[in-house]
Amino acid sequence: MTAGTERRRTAPAAAPARRRRWTFDRVSFMAVFLGLPLLIFVVFVIVPFVQAVYYSFTDWGGFSPDKDFIGLQNYVDLFHDDLFMHAVRNVALLGFIVPLVTIVTAIVLASFVTVGGPSSGRIRGVRGAGFYRAVSFFPFCIPAIVIGLIWAQMYDPSSGLLNGFLTQVGLHGFANFPWLGEVSTAMPATMFVIVWGFIGFYTVLFVAAIKGIPAEVFEAARLDGAGRFRTIVSITLPTIRDTVQTAYIYLGIAALDSFVYVAALFPNAGGPANSTLTITQDLFSTAFTRGQFGYATAMGVVLALITLAFAGVVAGVNRLSKGRSEGRA
Amino acid sequence: MMKTQGKTQVARRDVLRGMAALGVAAPLGAALASCSSGGSGGTGASATQSADLDSSTNPFGLKAGTSIEAYVYQGGYGTQYVNRAVKDVQKHFKGIKAKVAPTTNIAQALQPRFVAGNPPDLVDNAGANQIPFASVLDQLEELDFMLDVKNYQGEKISDIIYPGVKEAGMYGGKFVAMNYVLTIYALWYSASLFDKEGWQPPKTWDDALDLGAKAKAKGKYLFVFGKESASYYQTLALNSAIKEGGKDLIDRLSNADPDVWSDSHLQDVFKVLEEMVKRGYFVPGGAGTQFTKAQAKWSNDELAIMYPSGSWIQNEMKDATKAGFEMTGAPEPTMTSSPKMTYAAVRSSAGEAFTIPTHAKNAAGGKEVLRAMLSRDTAEHFSKTTLAPTVVKGSVPSDAFGSSALKSVIAMIEGAGTNVFNYTFDQKYGLGSQELVAWDGFLSGQLDAKGLTKQLQDLLNKAAKSVK
Repeated sequence: MTAGTERRRTAPAAAPARRRRWTFDRVSFMAVFLGLPLLIFVVFVIVPFVQAVYYSFTDWGGFSPDKDFIGLQNYVDLFHDDLFMHAVRNVALLGFIVPLVTIVTAIVLASFVTVGGPSSGRIRGVRGAGFYRAVSFFPFCIPAIVIGLIWAQMYDPSSGLLNGFLTQVGLHGFANFPWLGEVSTAMPATMFVIVWGFIGFYTVLFVAAIKGIPAEVFEAARLDGAGRFRTIVSITLPTIRDTVQTAYIYLGIAALDSFVYVAALFPNAGGPANSTLTITQDLFSTAFTRGQFGYATAMGVVLALITLAFAGVVAGVNRLSKGRSEGRA
Repeated sequence: MMKTQGKTQVARRDVLRGMAALGVAAPLGAALASCSSGGSGGTGASATQSADLDSSTNPFGLKAGTSIEAYVYQGGYGTQYVNRAVKDVQKHFKGIKAKVAPTTNIAQALQPRFVAGNPPDLVDNAGANQIPFASVLDQLEELDFMLDVKNYQGEKISDIIYPGVKEAGMYGGKFVAMNYVLTIYALWYSASLFDKEGWQPPKTWDDALDLGAKAKAKGKYLFVFGKESASYYQTLALNSAIKEGGKDLIDRLSNADPDVWSDSHLQDVFKVLEEMVKRGYFVPGGAGTQFTKAQAKWSNDELAIMYPSGSWIQNEMKDATKAGFEMTGAPEPTMTSSPKMTYAAVRSSAGEAFTIPTHAKNAAGGKEVLRAMLSRDTAEHFSKTTLAPTVVKGSVPSDAFGSSALKSVIAMIEGAGTNVFNYTFDQKYGLGSQELVAWDGFLSGQLDAKGLTKQLQDLLNKAAKSVK
């Protein structure tokens, strides 16, 4: 690769118009490293996408080859479908809050285990940093479905650990309180589970990013009298912002999906008054229990568009805010 | 729907287990990477030679040496009974090869096969992930002929199955599903507890309210519900209203009458239930409790004294039932003591819906397996191993294998005589999960009877519009 790049750099100067010959090496190299991946990508990614978009313009029921082309009717129906719009609002909430809470908490944790240690001596994490780092990673090693099932038990009104703990410490109002059964608590409880599952991985991710910052920068800030909070806001965050952006987009995509978590916490239903219904859940039941694959596919396309828009917004915000801070500097 | 619920309960653990594998891929995979829609629908090239339905040896013209493929839902009843039926077929026909494929996800497993026009020969369309009947209705064979066929004992099948089997398998006016397991809906209680306290299962809703007060005096609750099973109380309300006011209600639901949920008989029951919620006759916290845990509060802790459910409940709770519980079923109460149907009337639906796809390569083989299942050997084997009655009469001996629940099921079905009914509207419209949300709200007191009625009606109206 490197040799090739160098040759390309020098080649134009020597002979700008010369075309390189189609040697066997070159052709086979392109076939294996360019053609094959492209083929796989087209067959397994592009074609299904195009097919999905096509299905979303039909009234396909899913179990017969018959389908009629109905244009944008599915999309028109979607926007008049109260339940679907409710699901869109729910995932918007998930996509906003879950990444925010996860990232803020993960950055704070990461700072503590890397640079938040004693304020004298060399820059290091709090005592036992390695232990905390390992422990915080544990939840990520558990499959999402298991996390969902564990927490469904934790939240159990009468025999769950959560209410058991709350009533033990004297909060008797929580006896038999259905965390997943009340409109006001179902969504926050669900978000907590998702955040809990992700936090370890993002802590480790940010730890790696912070370790990439030269310790001298933190030492200089400390000499200037910056406290821990100020260090996070003014040193850590601006330096690792690209990592944060990537994390935000990944988390957002996961939160917009959330299928596994809600399926474990609210099997077969959308939670109290549908307050935790996600697009993916609505899609699944529309396709497989109501037999409306065309309509369900339209939901999938809308979710894909929402996800793209979300990634665009996050990247856009990052670019805009970076421009401003650089301008100020 | 109630059938779905029944299966759903049996299946849910499997479903959840499968969910791990299903993971994130399922929903998007279903929509975005959907299977090929190719295939011309097939020609239905059947291996049938000359069917002679009167023949007592080979009514469907099954050719020797052919192979049969069956897809069977792997739920609480397993698939052993189909294997046994296959062995029976192999005894009667030489060189038959057969494959019984167990699956928990019928819809996902067979969707591409139906689209491509090469479905298997016999499909047990059951479980939480069953294929919506409306979607495959025109690809399923009508099974009326099955009733005229003789089984291996030479008995005509229509003579030996319980009434209501045909009704339970009717979709869009066509009899396409031969259900195999008999399911009775009832109010379940502990006969030993009721004897000890001198309580009687309620015959009217006034009795039920009295019983609620008596239970409360003992520090117990009348009812319990779980977050996935709140809609069992919809079954209770519907069954009670149908017994009180007659079967018209079933047609009105099926036709999505825009006022059906405001039916006065239904409203009467809703009001009683609302009163019970207000008086605290339901174990609190149900909307956040996993359903088998909730049911254990009745069958194991005796915190609640009654539970409305289908007859699968005994099998479902067998590991969480108190010793000496004597689980027994009684018909649901009615509003007055002189209902239009009798108090003894029961909703009898059936589970494990066996269907024969029209385009199956060896449909005769699928039918022959079904015929073997409706013969004595397999039916008796099934009841003995699962403690559940089949649709074949007399498959349960009078001692009911020592099971009080099974005994009461047989007593109820015999007590009802011809007063059996069934409805499939929520399966038809795919309403289950959304109705569940409304019922969770109602039983936890977040929604009153009026709000419940409105939500259920809105759901039905909306679904009726989208079903072609």
